[in-house]
Formats: sequence, structure tokens, C-alpha cells
Amino acid sequence: MAAAAALAPALRRSLGRPRGGLGGVPRPWPASGGAPRLRSTAASLDGINRAVVDRIIRVDHAGEYGANRIYAGQMAVLGRSTAGPVIQQMWNQEKDHLKKFNELMIAYRVRPTVLLPFWNVAGFVLGAGSALLGKKGAMACTVAVEESISDHYNNQIRTLMEEDPEKYKELLQIIKQFRDDEREHHDIGLEHDAEGAPAYSVLKTVIQLGCKTAIFLSERI
Amino acid sequence: MAAAAAGSLRRAGWRLWRGRAGLRCQLYPPQRALHASAVLRRASDEKKEPLASSPQQQFDSPPADPQPDHEPQGPRSSYTGQGGQESEDYESEEQLQHRILTAALEFVPEHGWTAEAIAEGAKTLGLSGAAAGMFHNDGSELILHFVSQCNTKLSDLLEQEQKQVQLGKTEKKPTDQFLRDALEARLRMLIPYIEKWPQAVSILLLPHNIPSSLNLLTSMIDDILHYAGDQSTDFNWYTRRAVLTGIYNTTELVMMQDSSPDFEETWRFLENRIADAMNMDNTAKQVQSTGQALAQGLMGAAVTITNLTGLNQRR
Repeated sequence: MAAAAALAPALRRSLGRPRGGLGGVPRPWPASGGAPRLRSTAASLDGINRAVVDRIIRVDHAGEYGANRIYAGQMAVLGRSTAGPVIQQMWNQEKDHLKKFNELMIAYRVRPTVLLPFWNVAGFVLGAGSALLGKKGAMACTVAVEESISDHYNNQIRTLMEEDPEKYKELLQIIKQFRDDEREHHDIGLEHDAEGAPAYSVLKTVIQLGCKTAIFLSERI
Repeated sequence: MAAAAAGSLRRAGWRLWRGRAGLRCQLYPPQRALHASAVLRRASDEKKEPLASSPQQQFDSPPADPQPDHEPQGPRSSYTGQGGQESEDYESEEQLQHRILTAALEFVPEHGWTAEAIAEGAKTLGLSGAAAGMFHNDGSELILHFVSQCNTKLSDLLEQEQKQVQLGKTEKKPTDQFLRDALEARLRMLIPYIEKWPQAVSILLLPHNIPSSLNLLTSMIDDILHYAGDQSTDFNWYTRRAVLTGIYNTTELVMMQDSSPDFEETWRFLENRIADAMNMDNTAKQVQSTGQALAQGLMGAAVTITNLTGLNQRR
């Protein structure tokens, strides 16, 4: 615990102001002990396939968290350029997504992935790295990531539809909405000449491979 | 040996069994088919034939009844032996095991977590003492059953408490008080068995028990923190659970060596550990603000130096 507390400030300095993860100082106890939720007012936990929903929420939460960090990295480099407002706007939408998944995670009592601190750093590095390749590089990264994410959401929608569309109605609605948002980000990236980035196809393949690995790991760990 | 006998009888007895189909009792999907059948079905050896006829299903717990002609259940008189509970309704093997283990608990202070205690428990239910053969020799199932029962009791307790707070009948406790009470309540459930508890802990640490015991431990800690109002969605989720698990385990160890009246020393130890954890939180906050101040100071110094040396001048 002492080691973690000592390491945390150093990390925070290098990462700016990350929220939570290892960037935040580890806090043993809830400060005011938020209101515990009565089972009946929480999302109804009976009759749903816990294993499937667990995985879905865990990986989606990790995904939105990572996307958040990617945009943060991009803003750190390109914040003052002409692409700044566009990236900021997409970042704001991702922040909303993350907030929503935080709520779902609490309601369904899902544990977050252990790799969150890792995605914290990796996301920021990916965002900053792609932004260092210029505006087009950043847009290429956005296109690659958003395409991966919308495919992933589509898979989840398919899984839930196969299970029981009625039981998972709100979850399905949320995922559909988010999938549409991510598709929009993907299109914005293309509009801003992502394909003009240096080594676009290589970049895109590598990033999408990374995303697939991240999704695989976050579902399980 | 049973399999060989069954195999030799298979051909000869198959037609005989078909003829007797109308008389056999309902067979439930066996969890540990061989154990159960060997011990409890002494009187009904022929029943092994239908099992032997589908050998690949003998070792699984098939989701559906493997028998081709599924019959409505008859009374299971041969299992409950003399008197006892001749239940007309269907009792699964799991429920039976539960009942035996629960009954066995009262013999634990005397016999320890052993097959003898289970045998005694089975006898109070009117079963033969050989029913203990259904379980492992080392008493693992008994201990796991006990731990699971305690966790369920704790969950119910916490749920009740939460309802009371929701209804406004009680004040909401501060976090450290809540955790202290929850852990104390859970540890108090060990008091009747505290003499033999060290034996139980060592059995729970056996490799083949570790997955189950770890599972029970983590779900109990998760429950406690859930009712304490933990809503973390980042790495703190793990930190908090790890810290609380550490506190629980060390307090349990202290309790096993405690000889003070009503385990006062243990509760004091628990209080101190929880206070430590709370302090850790405060220290962490302080470190955070110090770090921030330091960072600002360094940035300021760097800017001053670049100004002084003229490095920030544009040429």
C-alpha cells in the first residue's frame, strides 16, 4: 500500500490528471459510504444470464475507459491545433459513455477489469503517439478504434438478441445508442482525411489488432 | 468391481430389468453417481444396470434424466431407512447432502471436521452411518458447507440491516463501524467451533479446496463491501477488497489464539486494523495533495529558469 501510494504521485505527474485507475491515489474506503442500493431498486438481477452480462459490462466499461484515455492523449498533443475542437467534442461523448457504464457496473454489481491501470497508460500513449504523427494520424487512430468498437458492439447486440431481446431491453438500447455514436466518430475521422495519414493501412491494422487483444483480455480478466 | 458385476449382469439382466421397469424408483441425475449408488443403494443393486447401460453418462451429471422411459416418481422409501423422514416428494441428492451436513455440524465440537461427525449427523436423520462415504474423507464438504451457511447468514443479516436503514428505523452507520460490525458478526459465527477451527482452516488450504474456499471468501467480502456502499468502478475495487480480506484473515488468526473473555482482544485487534485502513486513506489523500503541490512547485521553477536563461525567447 505504501509503495502504491508513493508511486501514484509520480505517475500522476507524468499522466496529467487521469481519473481513477492507478493514476488516482488508491483510496481504501469510500469517503462517505454512498447509499447502498436495495436489491429491488437496482437493476433486476434475477433471470438474467449473469455470466454474459458480466462480461459485456466489464469489457464495455474498459473500452470506454480506454477510449477516454486515447482522446485525452490526442488532446494533450493536438489540443491547441485546428483539430482540437473536433477531438474535444468526441471526447465529451466518450466521457458520457463512461459515466453510463459506471452506473451500469454499479447496478449490476460487475467487477471492473484488473487491467484498468494498464489501459490507462496504454490508451494515453496510443492517443498521444498517433497525434504526434499529425492530425491525420490522430484521425486514423480514431477511425481504427471506432471501427473496432462498433463491430464489437454489434457482436454484443447480436448476443443479447439471441438470448432474449425483451429481458435485456434497456441494455440493448444503451448499446445500440453507443454503437451509433461510435459509428459517427468513425465517419468524422474519415471526413477529416484519416486515410491521408502516413502508413494508414499498417497503422489501422496494428491498432485494430491491439483493440481485439484488449477486448479479449478485458472480458476475461 | 461393481462395474464388472454390472457389466456381466448387463446382458442377462437387461430383459429382466425391462420387465421390472414398472417397479423401480425414480432415479435422479447423480452428482457423484458411483459414491451415492455404492453407499445408499445396497438394497437395490439392479438399479446399477440402467446406469451401466449408459456408461458415458455415469460420470457426468446429465442435465436431463438419462432413462428412456421417464416415469413419475415413486416414494423413495429405500433411502431414508427406518422411520425418519419418509418424504413423499422428490429430494435431490444435493438437498440430502445439505441435510446431512447441517445435522453433522452439532457433532463437530466433539469429533472435529471429520467423517465421524458426518456419520453421526447422518444417524440423527435416520440414515446409516455409511452415508458419510458420500463425502470426502477429510471433511472438506462439511467445512465448505459450514462456511457457505455462515456467508448466507451474514448476507441476510446485512440485508435486514439495510432494510431497517431504508425504512428510517435506524441510523446509517459510519463506514468503519459498519465494517467492524459486519466482520465481528461473521467471526462470531465461528465461536461454537473455535476449538476445531484451526483444523478447518488447514483443510481449506488444501489445493483441491482452494478454488471453492477462495470463491466463498471473495463473495463474502464483496457482499460486505456492497452493503457498506462501495461504488468504486476503478482499481480501488480491488484495493478495497484486498485490504478487507487481509483484515478478515488476520483477525480470524488472532481469534484462534485468543483466550480472553468473549474474545475481547480479537475485537480490539479488529478495531485497530480497521482504523489503520482508514488512516491509510487519509495518508493517501495527504500524499496526493503534497504531490500536487510539489508538481506545481517544480513547474514554476522550470518556467523561472527558462525565463532567466532566455531559453524561451523566440529568435
